[in-house]
Amino acid sequence: MNNTIVALSTARGRAAIAVVRMSGDSAIDIAKKFFEPFPTQPNMLKVGTLHTQYFDEHAMCVYFVAPHSYTGENTVEFHCHGGTAVAQAVIEQCLKCGAVMAQNGEFSKRAFINGKQNLTNAEGIIEMIDAETASAAKAGANLLENKLGKMIVSLQNNLLDIVSACEVALDYPEEDLELPTVKSAQNDLNNISQKLSELISTATLGKIAKYGIDVAIVGKPNVGKSSLLNALLGCDRAIVSDIQGTTRDTLCESVNYRDIRFNFIDTAGLRNAADAIEAEGVARARRAADNADVVLHVTDDPTDRSVYPTIRPQVRIYNKSDLFDSEPCCVDSLVVSAKYGDVEVIKQTLYEMFSANEIETSDLLITNERHLDCLKRAKAQLQQAIADCQNTTLDIVTNSIKKAWAILGEITGTCAQEDIIDRIYSKFCLGK
Amino acid sequence: MNELSKTFDVIVVGAGHAGCEAALAAARLGCKTLVLATNLDTVAFLACNPSIGGTAKGQIVKEIDALGGEMAINADKSLLQMRMLNRGKGPAVFSPRAQVDKNAYHVNMKRTLENTPDLYLRQGEATAVNVLADGTFAVATAVDLTYFSKAVVLCCGVYLNSKTLIGQCVRESGPNGFANARFLTESLRKLGFAVQRFKTGTPARVRLNSLDLAKTVEQLGESDVAPFSYKTESIPATKRSCYLTYSTEETKRIITENKQLAPIYNGSIQGVGPRYCPSIEDKIIRFADKERHQIFLEPESEDTCEFYVQGASSSMPANIQEQIYRSIEGLENVEIMRDAYAIEYDCIDATMLDATLMAKHIPGLFCAGQICGTSGYEEAAGQGIVAGINAERFVHGKSPFTLRRDNSYIGVLIDDITTKENTEPYRMMTSRAEHRLVLRQDNADLRLTELGRQIGLVDDVRYAKFLRKKQQIALAEKDFKTVVSPKTYGPLFEKKNEAVSGAGLTVDEMLRRTNINCKDLQQLGFFAEIDDDALYEVEINCKYRGYIEKEQEAIEQANKLENKYLPDDLDYLSIDGLRIEARQKLNKIRPQNLGQASRILGVSPADIQILIVYLSQRKKN
Repeated sequence: MNNTIVALSTARGRAAIAVVRMSGDSAIDIAKKFFEPFPTQPNMLKVGTLHTQYFDEHAMCVYFVAPHSYTGENTVEFHCHGGTAVAQAVIEQCLKCGAVMAQNGEFSKRAFINGKQNLTNAEGIIEMIDAETASAAKAGANLLENKLGKMIVSLQNNLLDIVSACEVALDYPEEDLELPTVKSAQNDLNNISQKLSELISTATLGKIAKYGIDVAIVGKPNVGKSSLLNALLGCDRAIVSDIQGTTRDTLCESVNYRDIRFNFIDTAGLRNAADAIEAEGVARARRAADNADVVLHVTDDPTDRSVYPTIRPQVRIYNKSDLFDSEPCCVDSLVVSAKYGDVEVIKQTLYEMFSANEIETSDLLITNERHLDCLKRAKAQLQQAIADCQNTTLDIVTNSIKKAWAILGEITGTCAQEDIIDRIYSKFCLGK
Repeated sequence: MNELSKTFDVIVVGAGHAGCEAALAAARLGCKTLVLATNLDTVAFLACNPSIGGTAKGQIVKEIDALGGEMAINADKSLLQMRMLNRGKGPAVFSPRAQVDKNAYHVNMKRTLENTPDLYLRQGEATAVNVLADGTFAVATAVDLTYFSKAVVLCCGVYLNSKTLIGQCVRESGPNGFANARFLTESLRKLGFAVQRFKTGTPARVRLNSLDLAKTVEQLGESDVAPFSYKTESIPATKRSCYLTYSTEETKRIITENKQLAPIYNGSIQGVGPRYCPSIEDKIIRFADKERHQIFLEPESEDTCEFYVQGASSSMPANIQEQIYRSIEGLENVEIMRDAYAIEYDCIDATMLDATLMAKHIPGLFCAGQICGTSGYEEAAGQGIVAGINAERFVHGKSPFTLRRDNSYIGVLIDDITTKENTEPYRMMTSRAEHRLVLRQDNADLRLTELGRQIGLVDDVRYAKFLRKKQQIALAEKDFKTVVSPKTYGPLFEKKNEAVSGAGLTVDEMLRRTNINCKDLQQLGFFAEIDDDALYEVEINCKYRGYIEKEQEAIEQANKLENKYLPDDLDYLSIDGLRIEARQKLNKIRPQNLGQASRILGVSPADIQILIVYLSQRKKN
């Protein structure tokens, strides 16, 4: 069984389209989970909807069945709108459904391994990989200069200490060394795991720094959601009317507030829909809320105490305050009048809610998808090692820790077996 | 003797642990084989510790046995006591280790060589290996006799231009005063080998009666350890004990004060020593904050009262050695019988060899053992059997035989030394084997017997045992799906502190419980008439199934690169995109496949990618 890899196949940055490619045994199954309607036959580019956790993307999809593909494996390509944010979200979706990030040049590697010779221009590919390597090296160098790199190197170093101590215990049983008990290893592993968690948690801020905060505006029909969007944007973007169900589809627009981008998503009013089109609009509204970072639950009734059913954080907005006779019943809510434009308090509240001010002061943000993926896998592997400490023997525990160390090495580029051997000899006095 | 009587299929130079395995393999496979040794008293001589096995090494001994080699059988025959190291640390690192009788070990192995048809044992110092016009070899000796062969296996150990050092006393000598080989290095240089200088050392031998054993801890063998060889039916109980003691503050003081007298610290040793086997002075100077160091006293033989002082090798002057040894607990009145010494010797750069241990530039010339820069009897013997098998296959025009990183420690060892340039003597460790979870001492027979059979070294007795074990494992695993009611397993589980649920459990589910083993289930009527060694296998495979399966996946992933062979005629120096260092390293080592290429120091993952693309482009054109 070959794992399924994913990567952006077109150049990074602004472009008309971006192609995200997946290759591996499960590529087609994974794609089917979030692209619909999935093409009915291979080698045909079909238009459809690609669901990501942030938004739905109108995209095109084509799949190739092994061995008739570039890599010789099952392959799926998504042709989506250009720009980093869209492609990143699509890649994230693939990762979520079971793919792993491709290493540099891994598609070409697989193409070779599977005996595919149809490289249309191998010269060009060498150049491309060359360039990729150069930038990877540069990125690596940059990484090593910043705090993140140093932190990962130091975590790896801590792991190496544990691994070498375990290896000494395994390879030199007769030695009279103060070897770490599994218990002390467990403490160290917990500490490292904790640090990994902290790093992983910066990815939320990192994502905000990179993509902004997704804010879904939901509520019953005619509570003024579209007016609120227009007020937040400071322009007449959404059509506003007194007719219930004016907004049928979701509408996303962004605005910057104190250097943070807010992506406000206006949605159809929630009610039992009158027709199929509106029903689809309501469904999309719910999906938008489920995928947003935060939900603005809008109401125009000061006695309304209802809560929107979502696991996402939500803020209740009492809109149309200019019409209220009494104070709204819930105090932990925001009271605004979209009509008169006093909506800055919403942005201010969201800004504080996401501690967005920390972005400026923090120099330790995970913004790279591959790094985040490595950190998450390393953490999972460490959790496995910690569990192994309880359940099994040192040989297995050591293997688990070694794997976590090697995964971190994918970020720093250092995971040679020789490092362990060197550490063993430099730290321990051994002799037969 | 006429010229014909000096003509052989294979000549093995050296009769140490590599030489013996190489010669036995070649002769048993039908090659007329000559073993040349500087001194026939050095056959299978245990020049350092009187012990076989240990971590990773014990696994190698079992592998040699499964392939049809001799080391395991000889160790069992010469046994003083046996232990299993690493109990409690998991089956991947269980390692058998034996104390053996040094004299018996030599005598038994020499007798085996003497009794092997087609094997000729001859004392003589090889002085040159010459390649004749037809590609065959002429091996000249110091007494002007020349021997001819189609293949040569060099197993010269630490004898090449060796020097022993005890303080300022430097002798041109092999181990233990045996004559060294003075001319062969020059011949190897002429043949194009790169030569480097390594060093190692051995401790003093002391008189048992002079030891105060009351101050030490006696160490007996363990009675429940299986013999090394699958062919050995049983091994004796402990014949001789070992003793554990410690160095003291006084030891530290003596060494620190006399540091300048140690050849290794005053510059009179040039060779690179192994970090894993430091002398006592090295330990104390490099690890100054450690209060005391462990010292094991090991019996050399039943025939003598000499004891080996493990952990205290030294190259200090003899009078300082006396002071050092007398500072060790229990050795206050020790009588030294033989001094500790360091030894320097020539060895070759093993990256000039391929995975069959044949020189890439001289077909038919093989090297094995310490000449390849390794240390240890077991490492040597493991290479010896592979070189011997391949010498025979070369002579008879058969395809090469290689072992892999995923089927044996010997495979890891040979891949390591032929891929990465060694800067110090190479010792095998379990941590070097990335797939050690599946390379266990208990399954060496399952991994390699079939290969040994195909080669022709596994006889019917051994093969029948192997088939029986496999069949028994299959038979035992048939019970796995049987469901057992709580009424039946309840009492056992309660006794063993395992939670009893209301539901039935399969045998497999029961065995996966931490506190339940096969023996327990035998009480419930399962696994009747299954041998213990098969049961042990069944138990490990069941309890560690998840981990073993993950390891198998990792092996499959790795093998995708291992199975991509690199053409012999690749001109690495002209491949655009490869970094210069990578081009040179690839050109020098000429890896057999992409996996090996990726392990070369100085070849980056990016270089491998470029190589992959280059290859596919080349294939297309």
